[in-house]
Amino acid sequence: MSTAYDAIVVGAGPAGSSAALTMARAGLRVALVERGTFPGEKNMFGGVLHRLPSLEEVFPDFWERAPLERHIVKKGVTFMTGDSSFSTTIEAGNFDRPPYNGYTIFRPRFDRWLAEEAVKSGATLITRATVDELVSRNGRLAGVTILDRKGELSAPVVVAADGVLSFTAKKAGLRQPTFDPGQMAVGVKALIDMPRELIDDRFGLVRDQGFANEFVGCTGGVRGGGFLYTNYDSLSIGLVFHLGSLRTSGKTPYDLLNAFMEQPQVDKMIRGGRLQEYSAHVIPEGGFNMIPELVGDGIIVAGDAAALCNATGVNLEGINLASHSGVLAGRAVVAAHQTGDFSRRGLQVYRELLDDSYVIKDLKLYRKAPHMLHNDRIYNEYPELVCGMMEYIYRIDGAPKENLSKLFLKTAREKVGLKNLAADAFSAWRAL
Amino acid sequence: MNIDEIFDYTSFTIDREPHIVLDPQVCVGCDNRGCTNACPARCYTWSEEEKKMTFVHDGCLECGTCYVVCHRNAFTRWRYPRGGFGVAYRMT
Ligand SMILES: Cc1cc2nc3c(=O)[nH]c(=O)nc-3n(C[C@H](O)[C@H](O)[C@H](O)COP(=O)(O)OP(=O)(O)OC[C@H]3O[C@@H](n4cnc5c(N)ncnc54)[C@H](O)[C@@H]3O)c2cc1C
Ligand code: SF4
Ligand code: SF4
Repeated sequence: MSTAYDAIVVGAGPAGSSAALTMARAGLRVALVERGTFPGEKNMFGGVLHRLPSLEEVFPDFWERAPLERHIVKKGVTFMTGDSSFSTTIEAGNFDRPPYNGYTIFRPRFDRWLAEEAVKSGATLITRATVDELVSRNGRLAGVTILDRKGELSAPVVVAADGVLSFTAKKAGLRQPTFDPGQMAVGVKALIDMPRELIDDRFGLVRDQGFANEFVGCTGGVRGGGFLYTNYDSLSIGLVFHLGSLRTSGKTPYDLLNAFMEQPQVDKMIRGGRLQEYSAHVIPEGGFNMIPELVGDGIIVAGDAAALCNATGVNLEGINLASHSGVLAGRAVVAAHQTGDFSRRGLQVYRELLDDSYVIKDLKLYRKAPHMLHNDRIYNEYPELVCGMMEYIYRIDGAPKENLSKLFLKTAREKVGLKNLAADAFSAWRAL
Repeated sequence: MNIDEIFDYTSFTIDREPHIVLDPQVCVGCDNRGCTNACPARCYTWSEEEKKMTFVHDGCLECGTCYVVCHRNAFTRWRYPRGGFGVAYRMT
């Protein structure tokens, strides 16, 4: 095996396939290298696929052709504590009209399809191939080797789209040699089979409508949150934990997931379902401050590999940023092929395109959000405060009522402390 | 739901050659052993009696948690499995 390409893409996730598709459509010979037996086999997420402006440009009928599940019309947040919960939902008419504001999807289906679209555009997909080393010749990046295979794939430029741990970026010296657990989270998820009609009735949905709910206060005191999303005939339910906090908690993700699924209100939502699959994956949650070097000589880093993930609390945006950065990486490589300059300087246009896009703009805007989310009170005291207040408001038992604002201050003083409340409100305001 | 069963629902093509190898000696002196509780697949077991760390790669979900959590770099190898081996999600 020794084949020459114009570019090698490591990893056929959303970032890699978007990059390959962009380059192939511009006429480059692209190798899209994936370690799974098919693209998506290794990948899990929550998850909701958000809008993809850059792919929609290259691919106008994207939403008609992609393998999607339900479009999200209803979004909710639930504050949970022990056996109580308080929920709010928004259901907007606009969310029920195209262009839809997000769909549930399955990664093994979606990622596979997107990679096949890159192949239709001319890219060469190489599966069951774990990229091992970067090869240099005359001080220049010249290709990659594949674990347990002889020879190499050669190209003047590599796009590292190999996901959050990106060993490719590490080997190129672009990312930090170790990660800070405080900048990382892990998500665990159970996929639960459930008849479509049951889902429609239970969550108040018709046609292809879907529901996405986030939970706070459901992680046994570990910093993190929960989610429940509806697919056509299954539910995705899971928890996300900050690794710094999980590590010292002594608690396990699966016990906490079990407790979450047994919480009485959650139990009612998933009752009648059948467990199908369990999965887990790390998320880069450090935001803007975690972004590694994006460009090196002969190499560009995109997607999770570049920590381009936006976790502000209510939404988790990853696939859209990955895909967008992949398209921009592809464009930068196409431009470099025109000048023949694959040096860091020649590829720098990627950085500029990215800086100019919503990817970096949003991450910059929310750069303080990761810090705010490291406040333990969000995961313990505030859900208790909300549930306690609501329970009081709705309880009518002949006891004389208290003035609500006084009651709020009293409960807040007990649960959180007024100084903390003021400080948290201030930092939330600054962060968001 | 029986939590012990949850692990049985995920499919694997197990490689005999482990993709993660650790030096158990490093774990003996570890002050935190975050890997034992943070790993979502129960791959790490510490025995207090024998003062011994046991790692099995069979059920590894390739999630990356242990790579991030281990602060002593106990790994003599941490890479993804050879192409075609390891966890195989169908639906998630
Ligand atoms: C629990 C959880 C919930 C999430 N929820 C959402 C959500 O609701 N919405 C959203 O938009 N995002 C969500 N995300 C984030 C989203 O999944 C990621 O941001 C996105 O998948 C990143 O895409 P990527 O292409 O950069 O990386 P990945 O999707 O990780 O793809 C990397 C690819 O590279 C391959 N690979 C890795 N190393 C090698 C190698 N050496 N050789 C060959 N191939 C290799 C992998 O097999 C994989 O196919 C969630 C993530 C998690 C973990
Ligand atoms: S954290 Fe690292 S050193 Fe400590 S027990 Fe786990 S693997 Fe060993
Ligand atoms: S990668 Fe994840 S599942 Fe595999 S051993 Fe490490 S923590 Fe456990």
